[in-house]
Amino acid sequence: MTTQRRRWVRSLRFRLLAATLVALLVALLLAGLFMSSLFRDHVQRQFSAALVSQIDQLTARLEFSADGRPRIDSATLADPRWSRPYSGLYWQLDALSQGSLQRGVLRSRSLWDATLQASADLPDDGVVHVHEALGPDGAPVLLVERTVRAEGDAQTRWRLLVAADLRETQAAIGRFNGVLAASLGVLLVLLCVAAVAQVALGLAPLRALQRALAAVHEGKARQLQGEFPAELQPLVDDFNAVLTRNSEVVDRARTQAGNLAHAIKTPLAAMAQAASAAERHPDGLSELGPLVQEQVATARRHVDWHLARSRAAAATGVPGARAAIAPVIDGLLRVMRSVHASRELKVECDAIEPAIDFAGEAQDLQEMLGNVLDNACQWARSAVHVSVAYTDAARSRLRIVVDDDGPGIELDRRDAVMARGARLDESLPGSGLGLAIVHELAGLYGGSVTLDAADLGGLRVCLVLPAASSGSTQ
Amino acid sequence: MRILLVEDDPTLRAQLRASMDEAGYAVDTADNGLDAQHLGEHEAFDAVVLDLGLPMLDGLSVLRRWRQAGRSMPVLILTARDSWHEKVAGIDAGADDYLAKPFHIEELLARVRALIRRAQGLASPLLQCGALTLDTRSGRVTLDGQAVNLTSHEHRLLAYLMHRPGSVVSRSELIEHLYAQDFDRDSNTIEVFVGRLRKKLPPQAIETVRGMGYRLVAPP
Repeated sequence: MTTQRRRWVRSLRFRLLAATLVALLVALLLAGLFMSSLFRDHVQRQFSAALVSQIDQLTARLEFSADGRPRIDSATLADPRWSRPYSGLYWQLDALSQGSLQRGVLRSRSLWDATLQASADLPDDGVVHVHEALGPDGAPVLLVERTVRAEGDAQTRWRLLVAADLRETQAAIGRFNGVLAASLGVLLVLLCVAAVAQVALGLAPLRALQRALAAVHEGKARQLQGEFPAELQPLVDDFNAVLTRNSEVVDRARTQAGNLAHAIKTPLAAMAQAASAAERHPDGLSELGPLVQEQVATARRHVDWHLARSRAAAATGVPGARAAIAPVIDGLLRVMRSVHASRELKVECDAIEPAIDFAGEAQDLQEMLGNVLDNACQWARSAVHVSVAYTDAARSRLRIVVDDDGPGIELDRRDAVMARGARLDESLPGSGLGLAIVHELAGLYGGSVTLDAADLGGLRVCLVLPAASSGSTQ
Repeated sequence: MRILLVEDDPTLRAQLRASMDEAGYAVDTADNGLDAQHLGEHEAFDAVVLDLGLPMLDGLSVLRRWRQAGRSMPVLILTARDSWHEKVAGIDAGADDYLAKPFHIEELLARVRALIRRAQGLASPLLQCGALTLDTRSGRVTLDGQAVNLTSHEHRLLAYLMHRPGSVVSRSELIEHLYAQDFDRDSNTIEVFVGRLRKKLPPQAIETVRGMGYRLVAPP
């Protein structure tokens, strides 16, 4: 099976058309059979009713002479078919006396030299029996019989038979069936055409959607254009929302990449400049090392900053994001205890309510808290303490407080550490971006970071962030 | 001290190896996860520097396999992405410390020194044994405040013994920890270095424990 054929077989149009066609065929076939049997029934009933009326007439004309001989006056019978040989309408009188059956005691002229062969059993007196039998020339006939007795003659029973050729009736039924089949065939064709039209009309919006998607794919449109039926419009709206968000993310990434490239090109230019200067003046080579170190540090700060920003920008705006606080803090405390193991710091956290969740991505919470905790552990003399609580009764925001017993930061210099790249002390390793990244990330989430004096004597970093409404955890 | 350096970037690997050689370490290198796993499981190292992004098998998986196999040497992981998520995953996999790229080689060496000391339960970077002092930061050895001149092999031998003061160190352990895998290991050279070292240190500073090995003791 070729791919195209397989695709056609699996298409909606094929399924709809095949189902419709099968249903139509079954329905029309059943209707045809029903109507045909109804017609045949009706025709046969009419036919046998006509024969019964004929036998009634004949019975009325049956007379017996004084010596008991039966007689039917043919001249009183109106239908000319009684007298035309093999006309298709016959009557016959059989006699049954003392157990022997004598066929054709009297018969219509139409029977000519033949006799009607009815079965030997006789119906009760006066009752009419209807059979199918073979007529004079082997043609099928419908046969009606009735037994009568002559008044005063108890010995002999007379059986009156009337038969009519069935071929005409059968031809009529055949003609009817032919016309019926032709009509139903035409109806089937018309219904099929209607079904094809209906499917084409019904699926037209899907083709329009396909064209709209192709236009987006080829870059001719930024959104799915056009009006769609009520069933499709929500899908189109959702898809357009995804496209919008996607293009926003791409735009942001492009801007970020541009900013980053711009930021890194400056240190690169400085290093290239210094390298060519060193080439020209080899005696000044000793200055090259410190300059390269300094420029590399600058470039690294830019990379760190833009990485953190792009991570945050990608995460914020994702609806319904939530992260449990406790596992994030536990993971970070394990890192701090391991990395600062030689200093025997006491890094502790108060018990956290299990239901407290941050309304954002776990990785962003990790980024913020990681930087705050790392900063605290680097400066602490012996202890770092963490606590988490809701800020309000409505539980819409949460506050994470990290205290250390390090030297702290004087009041007038606290704003400075939030600035990008600020390092108040160069004696410890770091890029000077930690708290600035925390500040930026918290801001993107609509939260805040404040610095204060800790009860332990060092710095207190207080991080306020949106809390996820209580419910199931991600 | 013998170090395993796992880094797939050839330039960085060569630079780090040169710096570690210069700092007096015996260095083995691996450029992919599978080789690293094999080396770490079958050779003795005093510390490992492990990059996380490796071909064939990533660094975190290598580290997990070592820990599952019961290898407890200190491991410093190098991360390029510098995300806390990665650091937490690294520490949880069994790392002892991390360093984000790019880094200063001095910082890497300082972290490695600290890890080796921590593994021996030593807090100070200044190792002392009687009048003998080894400053792990500068690699300077002094005896009663006077500098002692040592060759790199002598220095490596003394540093290994000074990280285990009072413990008996077997000759085979010394061979395992003082030479990289591709070095021609001859147990006689250990005796030669011990002999040379004894001449530069106070008498009886390095004891021979018959049938067991050597022990560094504080001179009386």
